[in-house]
Amino acid sequence: MDLGLHDDELVACVSCGLCLPHCPTFVITGRDTESPRGRIALMRAVQNEDAPVTDDLIRSMETCVQCRGCETACPSAVPFGHLMEGTRAALAATGRITPRWQRLALKGLRHRRLLMAGSTLLALAIRLRLVPTRRFGLPARMPLRRPRLRTSGRDVWLFTGCVMDAWQRDVHLAVQRVLEAAGVGVEPTGGAAPCCGALHIHAGLESETKDMARQVMAGLSGDDRPILVDAAGCGAALKDYGHLLGTDEARAFSARVYDVHEWLAGRLGELQARHRVDPLEVTVAVQDPCHLRHVQRAHQAVPEVLEPFVASVVALDDDGLCCGAGGAYSVMEPELSGAIRERKTAAVARSGATVVASANPGCSLHLAAAGLDVRHPLELVDQALSSSRS
Amino acid sequence: MADLEAAIGADRVRSDAAARYLASRDASIYREGNAGPVCYAGSTSDVVACVQIAARHGRAVSPRGAGTGLAGGAAPLGQPVVLSMTRMDKLLEVDLDNGVAWVQPGIVNLDLSRALAPHGVHYAPDPSSQAACTIGGNVANNSGGPHCLAYGVTSAHVVAVEVVLSDGSVATLGDLSAEPAGYDLRGAFVGSEGMCGIATSVAVRLTPNPPAVRTMLLCFGDVSDAAATVSAIIADGIVPAAIEMMDQRCVTAVEDFAQAGYPSDAAAVLLVEVDGPPGGVAIAAEKIAGIARRYQAMSVRTAADEGERARLWKGRKSAFGAVANVMPDYYLHDTVVPRTRLVEVLESIYEIVDRYDLIVLNVFHAGDGNLHPILAYDSRVPGADERVHAAGREIISLSLDMGGALTGEHGIGVEKREHMSRMFSEVDLDQQARLRASFDPYCRMNPGKVLPSAHSCSDIAALRASDAAGVWG
Repeated sequence: MDLGLHDDELVACVSCGLCLPHCPTFVITGRDTESPRGRIALMRAVQNEDAPVTDDLIRSMETCVQCRGCETACPSAVPFGHLMEGTRAALAATGRITPRWQRLALKGLRHRRLLMAGSTLLALAIRLRLVPTRRFGLPARMPLRRPRLRTSGRDVWLFTGCVMDAWQRDVHLAVQRVLEAAGVGVEPTGGAAPCCGALHIHAGLESETKDMARQVMAGLSGDDRPILVDAAGCGAALKDYGHLLGTDEARAFSARVYDVHEWLAGRLGELQARHRVDPLEVTVAVQDPCHLRHVQRAHQAVPEVLEPFVASVVALDDDGLCCGAGGAYSVMEPELSGAIRERKTAAVARSGATVVASANPGCSLHLAAAGLDVRHPLELVDQALSSSRS
Repeated sequence: MADLEAAIGADRVRSDAAARYLASRDASIYREGNAGPVCYAGSTSDVVACVQIAARHGRAVSPRGAGTGLAGGAAPLGQPVVLSMTRMDKLLEVDLDNGVAWVQPGIVNLDLSRALAPHGVHYAPDPSSQAACTIGGNVANNSGGPHCLAYGVTSAHVVAVEVVLSDGSVATLGDLSAEPAGYDLRGAFVGSEGMCGIATSVAVRLTPNPPAVRTMLLCFGDVSDAAATVSAIIADGIVPAAIEMMDQRCVTAVEDFAQAGYPSDAAAVLLVEVDGPPGGVAIAAEKIAGIARRYQAMSVRTAADEGERARLWKGRKSAFGAVANVMPDYYLHDTVVPRTRLVEVLESIYEIVDRYDLIVLNVFHAGDGNLHPILAYDSRVPGADERVHAAGREIISLSLDMGGALTGEHGIGVEKREHMSRMFSEVDLDQQARLRASFDPYCRMNPGKVLPSAHSCSDIAALRASDAAGVWG
C-alpha cells in the first residue's frame, strides 16, 4: 500500500535507537512495535516492500501519542510527526482508523455555536451526574456559563480555539489580563478562527484540516498582527500551516504565530516596570507540553515567564517525557494513556511541588483528572499581579 | 505458542507479523533475521519457562535487549523464540558495602547511572548508545565506551551474573569476594553474545564519581597531527578518562543536532577528558594542552561548565545516529589497531574509501585505537551495497595486517562471523566452539552467531530443523 510518504524522510531513520527512551509508549511497553524506530520500519515495510496492513500494524500506529519526543532525540532529524500524520491520513482514507463517531465529534469542533451549546449541555449533564466523567476523561466540573470575550485593542490576536474556549475560557481571560498588564491591546479570535485542526490532523483527516487551516487564515488576514496562542497543541498546529498547505501565504501566516510565553519572555521588563509584584508563595513544577517542547521547542520561555511571579519554579526530572494526554489520545487509549501519566505524576511527586503549571489544555485536563492541582502558567502570573494590585 | 502463553501470560507473547518483523532486526544493516514468537519476560522464572518450552519443542532461543547492536547479534536466525528483556529493567539492590549493585538485564545503561547518582557513584562503561542500550546487551558484547580507556570495559565491571542455561537451569557465575574460587566462568560468559545462556541478573561494580572533571576540545588542521597527539599524550604517562577523535565530516554531521560549538573548519577534533583529584586534573590538562600545541593544534578549548561538557559529549555520542544527515545508510566497522599506527591506518582508510567512491566519517576511541569508520551510502543506488562491502573487507584486512583485531566492542554477531578465520586459526576456533558447547551442548542459545559456519555444525542443524518446521502456530 502506498502511504504517500516522502521517500527521503522515510529513509532518514538509520535505526540507531536513540529515540527509544524518549518514546512514552516504548518506555511503558518495552515493545519495538510501540517505538518510533519500529513504527518507521513498519511504514517502510508497507510503502516499499508491500507488507500487508494488518490489524497489529494499525495498532502500532494508533498507540503513538504523537508527542514527537522522538524528534528532539533524533540526531538525524527524522521528521517523525510528518511521517505519522501521513500514515494516519492514508489509513483514515481507507476507513481503517478514526471511527465514524470520532469523525462526527471532530466535525462538531468547527461549528462554534453548536460546540458552545453542546458544551453547556454536557456541563449540565455532568452536574446531574448523568455522565461518568472519569471514564471519558472529562473534567469533574465544567462551566455552565462563560464570561464574554472582549476586545481591548488591536496589538495582537489571542487565539481562543474550540474546546479550550468552551471549557477553559477563564484561562483566556487570565492570559488577556496579563497581556494587558504589559500594555498590550488584545483581540480574542473567537468566531473568526473557530478551530486550528490539530486533533483532525492527528486523526488522519488531512483534507478537512487543510480546509480548517484556510478558514483560520482567512479569518485572521488583513494585517500582520502577531497571533498569540496559550494552548501548546494549537500553537504547534498553527505554526505548521506553512508545511501543511505548502504555500507562501501559509508560511507567512505561520511566521506570525507565537506561543504566548515565547512572546512574553521578550517583554518581561515591560511587565515588571509597570507592576511591583509579590511572588505567590507556591512551589510550581513546570510540565512541558510536548507540542511546546518537542514541536515548537519554546518550552524554556515558561519558567522564564513564571520565575518573577512565584516563590520557586522547579523542573521535572523526566527529560520532558509525555504525560499521555495527546489531544484525544486519553479518550482513545485510556489504558496506555493512564500508564504514561503515572510516570508524570511520580515525577511531580519527586519534585516536591504543590502546583503544576501546564501550558496546554489537554495535558492540564489529563493531569487534573489524576488529582493534581494544575494551572496555566499565566493564571499564576495573573493571580500574582492581581494580588499585588490590591 | 499455547505453552508459552500459558507459562508467562498471553499479553506477554506476540506472534504477529509486525512484532516478529521488528524483533528480527537490530541497529545494523543486517536484514536476514527471522523471529519466532516474541516473549516479553518479566522475571527469571519467565525466562526459565520460555527456555524449557523452547527446548521441549526443539527450538532455539535468542535474547534481545534494546536492539541497538551493530553487528546483528540480536538478529534471530532460524525462527527461534525471541526473549525480549526490556521489561526486566529494575535496579534490584545497591550494596555500597561491597561496591556493587544487582540489576536486571533490561535496565538501560544511562538509567542505571542516573539511579545511582544519589549515592555518588556510577556505572563506568558508557557506550555511545548508553541512553538506549541495556546492561544485558553490554554484558553480551563486553561493550566499551569512551571512558573505558581509564576504567576498563564491561568485563571489569561485572562482578557476578545470574544466568539461565540452555536446559533451563539457573546458575550464578562469579561472586562478590575478591578472590573467587575455581575457573572464571563469569569472564567466559561476558562477551559470549547470548550463546552461553541468558543473563537474568547482573552484579555491576560501582565507580565513585570523580571529584573533578575537565573536558577539553582540541582542534587540528590535519588528521595526522591529531593522531600523533593521542600517542604523545599516552607516551607522556597521562591516562585520560577518555580520548575521542572525530574527523571533519563527522563533526559537521553532529554539530547541527548537538549545537556544541564544534568547529566546521578543523580536519579533526579530539575530545579529551581527565578526571581525578582537582590538583592532578589541572596538571594533566595543562600537559595535554602543551602537547596539543606542540602538534599544531588550531585551538584548545576547555568546557566552562557542566552544560558545555554535556553538549560536547552529546555530539560525540550521537555520531552514528547523525549519519542520515549525510547519507541514508551506513555500514560501521569496529576494528582495533595499535595506537602507534593510527596515522598510517587512517591514511589508508581514506585511500580505500576514495578508491570505492564512498564517503567515510571517522569517529573513534582514539585512546585505545578502536576505530569506527562509518561508510555512509545510499542503498537505493545500484551497486552501492557491493562497493561498501568490498571496502569494508579491505579495511578489516588492513587492520588485521597492522596487528589489530576484528572488533573492539560491538561484537561479531552475524555481520563479522565470516571474517573470524582471518583472525583465528582452526585450532583457536575449535577451542571457542568447545567452550561454547560446554555451556550449551545443543547450540540452542542464539545459534548461528560469532563462529564461522564450518565451526558450529550443531548450530547449522538447529537452524535447518527450525526452518523446515515453518511458521509457528
